[in-house]
Amino acid sequence: MNYLIPLMVVIPITCALFLNLLHERTRTVKAISIIVALALPTVPLIANYGVQYFGGYPPLAQNPTIAVGLPTLITGTALNIFHPAITYVFGSAQKLMIVILGFIALFAIYISLYEVKKASGVYAYLMLMGTASIIAMLLSDDIFNLYVFFEIAALAQVGIVLVSKVDYNYETALKYMILGSIASPLLLIGIALLLGVTGNVNITDIVYSIQHGLVNPQSPVLLMACSLIIFGWLYGTGLPPFHTIKSAMYSKALPTGAALLQAFSVFSFVAIGIIILRIFSYLPFAHIFIIGISLVAMTLGITMAITQTDFKRLIAYLAVGELGYIGIGLGLGTALGITAGLFQAVNEAVITAFLFIGFGTIMYKTKETDMRKLGGMLVETPKSALLVLLAGLAMAGVPPFNAFQSKLMLVQASLNSGLPEIAIIMVLLSIVTFMTFMRAFHTIYLRPKPADLEIKNEKIPNITLVAMVAFLVVCLVFGLFPQIATNFLQGMAMSIA
Amino acid sequence: MIMDTQLASLLTAGALIVIGIFGTLFLDNLIKKVISLAFIGDGANLFLIAMGYKVGGIVYIFLPGMSMSNFSQNASYPLPFALVLTSIVIGASTMAVMLGIIILLNKKYGSLSASKILGE
Repeated sequence: MNYLIPLMVVIPITCALFLNLLHERTRTVKAISIIVALALPTVPLIANYGVQYFGGYPPLAQNPTIAVGLPTLITGTALNIFHPAITYVFGSAQKLMIVILGFIALFAIYISLYEVKKASGVYAYLMLMGTASIIAMLLSDDIFNLYVFFEIAALAQVGIVLVSKVDYNYETALKYMILGSIASPLLLIGIALLLGVTGNVNITDIVYSIQHGLVNPQSPVLLMACSLIIFGWLYGTGLPPFHTIKSAMYSKALPTGAALLQAFSVFSFVAIGIIILRIFSYLPFAHIFIIGISLVAMTLGITMAITQTDFKRLIAYLAVGELGYIGIGLGLGTALGITAGLFQAVNEAVITAFLFIGFGTIMYKTKETDMRKLGGMLVETPKSALLVLLAGLAMAGVPPFNAFQSKLMLVQASLNSGLPEIAIIMVLLSIVTFMTFMRAFHTIYLRPKPADLEIKNEKIPNITLVAMVAFLVVCLVFGLFPQIATNFLQGMAMSIA
Repeated sequence: MIMDTQLASLLTAGALIVIGIFGTLFLDNLIKKVISLAFIGDGANLFLIAMGYKVGGIVYIFLPGMSMSNFSQNASYPLPFALVLTSIVIGASTMAVMLGIIILLNKKYGSLSASKILGE
């Protein structure tokens, strides 16, 4: 039994609840938040791979003592190997993704604690709660458990937007919740249909039931379940038609909150996407739909980014567009494609967090986010301007950064699958991403400062620059040595393909 | 003819969801929208409970003196009932947050009209 596996979820949730109670005690909030934030990437780093059966109930086949005396109706059938309890699986792919998520959360929490005089226990609570939920989604082999954490993550995301004090944040949060209150029950019905057909909520058992003919794979009920789960997936991750509300959520959060929200979207995209592939990969419709919606997300996200005047909204749309790349990799369904998609997910989470925090440094000098009213910021924030430029180049897939390697792998996977059209679209959209970013960079940093732009004499906290340098190091390391990441991801990709 | 209990539950769940979606899309008052959303959530929960129904089934509590074979063949499926409790709690939390936001928006705008507040 590897107790570090459940602790990855239990530690942040427990401490988050305490932080909520310690709202006014700034020093205690800071101390607890720093310790827990450090634990977020450290615990998965030191944990051994393994499986955690909650309640200590492994399948009967692995637990002969309990199986003694049970009728053959149970021990002589597939029930003997089914999982009676919630199961968490911690493999190499989960390790990499949880470490990266923890790494982003660590800096988001640190910056949020040090950029204000009075640290907010509520904000730290929401960030830790959301992070714990996404970690649980990545670990869980139980689709209902995943749904529960999907809902907790959605509430945490709404909370992060609510505490931001950005104009119209309440309105955006309510819109998101209304849409979520339609999408989540539909996802639940999809899960209920799977339960009704297979009698299981454990994903490994559901896959077993389908592959071994215990249920009819072509059952229309299963097709309906697939459609409903995909609908919930679109909502949770901000794919079209939910891309506008999701990008609005990012833009109404503080830069640290937005950095974390997009990481939540990326990793929940991966968690649910992998489940869809594991259960429904035998349906050609599932692959075609994932590729189709990913192409729409890429095209809509990146083209809508061109028209934005608010820099937070611009990054938000670029983030939605980048999700499409991950979806293409998963939708191709080959080992190379899935590895490339997962690699792109890890890269995108880091790069977008880098961009949100980088562009967010402008808000220390001026509260303005409208690019039409900004200019000349290179003189005010030269160090962060250089780092933001590097982040933008990384997002566009310029070598030697990490997204170049993952996008190259995606192009190779598309060509290997006989889909050169997709490769061409991906390359063209990368060029558009580059142009969009450079236009924003020129507007904010390079053109002359508008006469009416007020610059505050506020220093950018050192921790913000340290975070940006740390993200840059990750981008460079994964760009120069991509095998470090892909070695972690290949096992999962091969098991799904 | 008496309708099958499971079918009746599924039809009721379907009706709740359809009414809920209609209310969410076409009612302008935010409180009414939230009530409609609760209908959708309740429909989904009823749907989940209906999955655990078994014709002629017995309660899934193993009592002393009960035959193991009889219990394993006739007990209704307990998992959906356990799951729906969690789902109800999630629904209640979500609704509490939504109502809290609506109270704040009502103070800001002096109205509960979705078209005025959310610009729909």
